[in-house]
Amino acid sequence: MGYDSILNWVTFDNPVNNAFYPFEVYNVPYDIGAKLWELLGGTIAWLINLLIPGNGLSTWLVSDAVVNAFAIILMVVVIFAVGFIVNLTMIWQERKVMGRGMDRRGTKIGPLGYLQCLGDGLKTFMKENVVPKSIDKKIYWWALALIIGTAVLAACMIPLSDRWFIMDYHAGILMVYALFALAPFFILGASWAQNNKYSMMAGFRAAELMISYEIPMLILMTAVILQTGSFNINSIVNAQSEMWFMVPQIIGFFTFFVCAVAESERSPFDLAEAESELVEGWQTEYAGMKWGLIMLGDYFRGYVCCGLIVILYMGGWLLPFGYGGTAVPELVFLAKIFAVFFFFIMARLAIPRVRIDQILNVGWKVLMPLSVINLLLVVVMQTGGLI
Amino acid sequence: MAMKYLHKYPKKFRGTGGIRPILRVLRTMIKTTIHRPVTILYPYEKEWIPDNYRGRPGLRFDRCIGCGICMRACPTTCITMVEAEDDDGKIVKRPQVNVGRCMMCGYCAEYCPVDAMTTTPDYELAEFTRKDMIYDPRRLAYEGTTEMMEVHLEEHLQSNLDKGIEDKPTAFFDTDRPVLDNDLCIGCSKCAKVCPTSAIEMVVVGQNAKGKDIKRPKLDSTKCVCCENCVIDCPKDALKIEEVL
Amino acid sequence: MSELSRTGYQTDKMWVTMGPQHPFSHGLWTLRIKVDGEYILDAEPEVGYLHRGWEKECENRTYAKIIPMADRLCYSASMTWSHLYCKVAEEALDIELPERAQYLRVIADEICRIQSHLMWLAALGTDLGNLTIFLWCLREREFFLDLNVRLCGQRLTTNYPRIGGVRNDMPYYFERDCMRVVDRFENSLWDIINLTDESSVFVSRLKGISYLTKKQVANLGITGPAMRGCGVDYDVRRDDPYAAYDKLDFEVPVLKDGDAYARYRVRVEEMFQSCEIIRQAFNALQKIPKTAPYRLKVSKNIPAGTHMAHIEDPRGDALMYLVSDGSGSPYRLKVRSPVFVNVSASKAMLDGCRIADIPAVMAMIDMCLGETDR
Repeated sequence: MGYDSILNWVTFDNPVNNAFYPFEVYNVPYDIGAKLWELLGGTIAWLINLLIPGNGLSTWLVSDAVVNAFAIILMVVVIFAVGFIVNLTMIWQERKVMGRGMDRRGTKIGPLGYLQCLGDGLKTFMKENVVPKSIDKKIYWWALALIIGTAVLAACMIPLSDRWFIMDYHAGILMVYALFALAPFFILGASWAQNNKYSMMAGFRAAELMISYEIPMLILMTAVILQTGSFNINSIVNAQSEMWFMVPQIIGFFTFFVCAVAESERSPFDLAEAESELVEGWQTEYAGMKWGLIMLGDYFRGYVCCGLIVILYMGGWLLPFGYGGTAVPELVFLAKIFAVFFFFIMARLAIPRVRIDQILNVGWKVLMPLSVINLLLVVVMQTGGLI
Repeated sequence: MAMKYLHKYPKKFRGTGGIRPILRVLRTMIKTTIHRPVTILYPYEKEWIPDNYRGRPGLRFDRCIGCGICMRACPTTCITMVEAEDDDGKIVKRPQVNVGRCMMCGYCAEYCPVDAMTTTPDYELAEFTRKDMIYDPRRLAYEGTTEMMEVHLEEHLQSNLDKGIEDKPTAFFDTDRPVLDNDLCIGCSKCAKVCPTSAIEMVVVGQNAKGKDIKRPKLDSTKCVCCENCVIDCPKDALKIEEVL
Repeated sequence: MSELSRTGYQTDKMWVTMGPQHPFSHGLWTLRIKVDGEYILDAEPEVGYLHRGWEKECENRTYAKIIPMADRLCYSASMTWSHLYCKVAEEALDIELPERAQYLRVIADEICRIQSHLMWLAALGTDLGNLTIFLWCLREREFFLDLNVRLCGQRLTTNYPRIGGVRNDMPYYFERDCMRVVDRFENSLWDIINLTDESSVFVSRLKGISYLTKKQVANLGITGPAMRGCGVDYDVRRDDPYAAYDKLDFEVPVLKDGDAYARYRVRVEEMFQSCEIIRQAFNALQKIPKTAPYRLKVSKNIPAGTHMAHIEDPRGDALMYLVSDGSGSPYRLKVRSPVFVNVSASKAMLDGCRIADIPAVMAMIDMCLGETDR
C-alpha cells in the first residue's frame, strides 16, 4: 500500500471480512476494537511512513493479522470498561436507593451523586498500603489477586447480547459459573493467610456458606439447561423468546434469587463480613487499596449474579412476550440487570443479617428441596410436552 | 392503661420472611423520592433553633458589673476575670471565656444578677488554634440578644410557699446578704474596695484606745448582689453569707 | 451448651479479644470470649477504659456544679442521671419539690427514656446488620432531641434538673411541640416495628438466645428491661415512686420468656408507655397554674449525713449514695451504675450462644460506658 493520505490506512472495513476474524457472528466489541486499532495503528503506520516511505512495517501494522490481534486485546478492554462502568452505576444505584429507603439523600458529589463512587475508589488508592507482619505473604497476595481476578473474569464472560460477548462457546453458562464458584477457595486461603482470628472465622463461614449455596444453584441451572437442551448462553436466551423461564420455573426463580444473594455475599447473607461481630470479616487485614479492590470485586460478583438471573430466567436481552430483540439489545440486558439488582438492594434495606446456622438450615432444608422439586417439575413438564 | 404493643405482638404468622419489611421500605423509598428526605444538608441548610439554645456564652459589656459570680459558678473554670477598657476608657473587670473548655451549661447566664451574661444560639465555634478559642469580653458580644437568652433565675422561698405566697419568685442575689462578725473584723476596708457595686461603705463606729477610728463595713442591701467577693477577700473571715430559705 | 457435650469434636478452644475498638462494643470495653468453633464457652468483660475519676472529681466541686457533670455520666440518658443526683441532694436537704417541677421532671425523664431506647433500637439494628432500622430510629430520636433543645437548650447534655426544682419553666410552645412529636412517634414506631417484629429474620435472631431465669437475675443483680424481660416485676417508678410517678397511671411491661426477644419487647413497650406518661403529665400540668413555683431556693451546703436515692434509668436501677460533711461539696458520692452490674453478667448471658449472637445479646444491655467506668 502506498502513501496518499491517512485514509489509506484507516478504512473502517467490516471486521467480519478480516481473514482472521475469530467469531462466527458479528461482534460489537471486536468491531470497536478493530476500528480503534485502525485509528491508532493507522496513525502510527502513517507517521512511520512519513519518516521512511515505503517501509514494510507500516503495511504490517495494518495487515489483517495484526489488526485481529490488537482488536482482540482492545475488545477485552472495551468489555471490561463497560463492565466497570456498569459496576459503578450499580454502586451508585445501591447508594442512592439505600439513601432514599432510609429517608436520607445518598451520594451528593457530581451529577445526581454519580461521581461519589469514583471518588471513594480513588480515595482507597491513596491510602497507605498496610501489610501485617506475620502473614503468609504468598497466599495473602495471590488469594487477593485471584478473588478479584476471577470475579472480573466471570463478569467479563457475561454476554450483554448475541453480538456483545468474549466468546460464544458451547459450555458458556458452565464457564461463567465455574469462575464464579471458585471464590470460596481463595477466600479460605486469604483468611488463613492473614493470621487473624476474625478473618479465619469469617473465612470458614464464607466457605461454608458458598459451598452450601452453590449446590442448589447448580441444580437450578440444571433445570434450565434441561429445558433448553444447551449450555450455550445464546441458546438459553433464544429459548426464552416466547416465554421467560421465570413463568414455568417460578419456584426455581425465587430459589435462585435467594441463592444468588447469598452467593454474592450481600446483606442479608453477608455473614462473612458481619462487621458487628467479626470486624470486617475475611477482609480485616486487607487495608486501603486492597480493600477497595475487594469491594469492587464484590460488586462484580453481584453483577454476575444479576446477569445469571437475567440470562437463566428473564430472557436475557430479549423483550418479553415474543417481541424479540431490539436495535440495542445490550441496553435491554443492562436494564434487566439493574432491575434485578434493585431487588437485591431492597433485601439489603429491609432484612437484617441471618445467623450462620439459620442460613445453613435454610440452604439445606428449604432451598435444596425446592431446587430439586423445580427440577422434577421441569422434567415432568418436559416429558409431558407442556413446555 | 393497657399495653399497646405487647397485645399485638408477637404475631403467630410473621408474613413470609421479609415481604412486609420490603414493602414498607419500598413505600418510604417512593415517598422520599417524590417528596424529599427528612435530612437537611447541614452546611447549606440549617435547622431553626430556639432562642433558649445554650451555645457559647455571650456578654453585654455595658450591663456587666464585673462581680465574678459567673467565674465562680463555672463548673469547668473556663471563665476568668480580665481587665478591659470600657467605653469611657476606664479599666474595668470583665469575664473572659475559654470556649474550648466551656461545657455550655449556661450557669453563667443563669446566675448573672444583672443579666449581662447570656446564652447565645451560636454553636459553630471551630477555630484553627486553641488561642483563638479564648473569647475576650468584647468578642463575647452577641447581636440580637432576646429575653429567652437571659435565663432568669426564678426561685421560690420555702418560707414563702409555707405562707401561701406563690407569685414572688426571687433569687439568691435578691435575698442572700453578707453579715459581719463584729468581733473578728479588723476594719481593713478590703471588702469595700472589692465590692463591685460599691454597696459596702466603711463607717466610723467609734474610736479605740489609741484614738484611731474604728471602721466597720455598712452594707447597702439594695445595691448588694451577693457576689461573695467581700466574703472571699476578708482576711479574717469576718464576713459570711446568710442564706434566706 | 456445656463443654462436656462438645468435647467429641476435638476442636481447639481459643480466646478471642473483642474490643476495646470493636464494632459491637458501643464504647470502649473489651469482651474476651473463649470459643469452640462458633460456640461461646466463656466470656469475660473488661471495663475501665473510660475511667475519668468522676466520683473523686465530685468531691472537689460544689453541689450545684455536679449537675452538669452528672449529665456526662451517660450520653444518651443524661436527664435521668442529673435527676438522680438532684434527688439524692434533695433527700439530704429534706425538701419537697413543687408540683410543677415534679411533672416537668417526669416529662423530661420520659423524653430522655424514649430517646435512649431509640438509640438502643438503632444500635440493635446495626448490630444485626440492618442500617434502615438505625436510620429510622435516629430520625425519630432527632425529634426528641429537638424537644430537649426547646425545653432546656441542649440536645444531649440537658443540665435541666436543679436541686430543688428544674432550670426553667417550659416555653409556651413546648406542649404543642411535644404532643406533635409524641403523636408522630407512635405512628413511626409502628413503622419501625414493621421492620423488626414483622421480619421473621429479625425475630429469629433474637428468639431463644441468652435465656436467664429469675433466680439468675436476682443473683447477678441485673436490673432494668433486661430484668423485666426475665419475669421480675419491679420498676422503681411504680414500686418506689419519685417525682410525680405515683400520680400517673402506666403499665410496667413484664415478660416471662427470659430470652433476648423478651428484653427487646419490654423496651419497645416501654417506649409506648412513656408516650402515655408524657400525655398524662401534660394533662396534669394544665391543672396547675402557669405561674406556680417550679424551683425552690435551697441552701448551698448540705447538712452532714448519708443519703441514698435510686430512680429508674432507661438501663436499669440507677442509685447514688451521698455522704456529706456539712460543707459545700460532698464528702463522697457513689454511683451504682446499672450497666456496670448488667455487663458483669455477660458470662451467664452468653452461655451457649454463638459468636453471631454476641451483638444481639450485648445490645440488650444497652452499653453506655460513661456510667460504667465513671
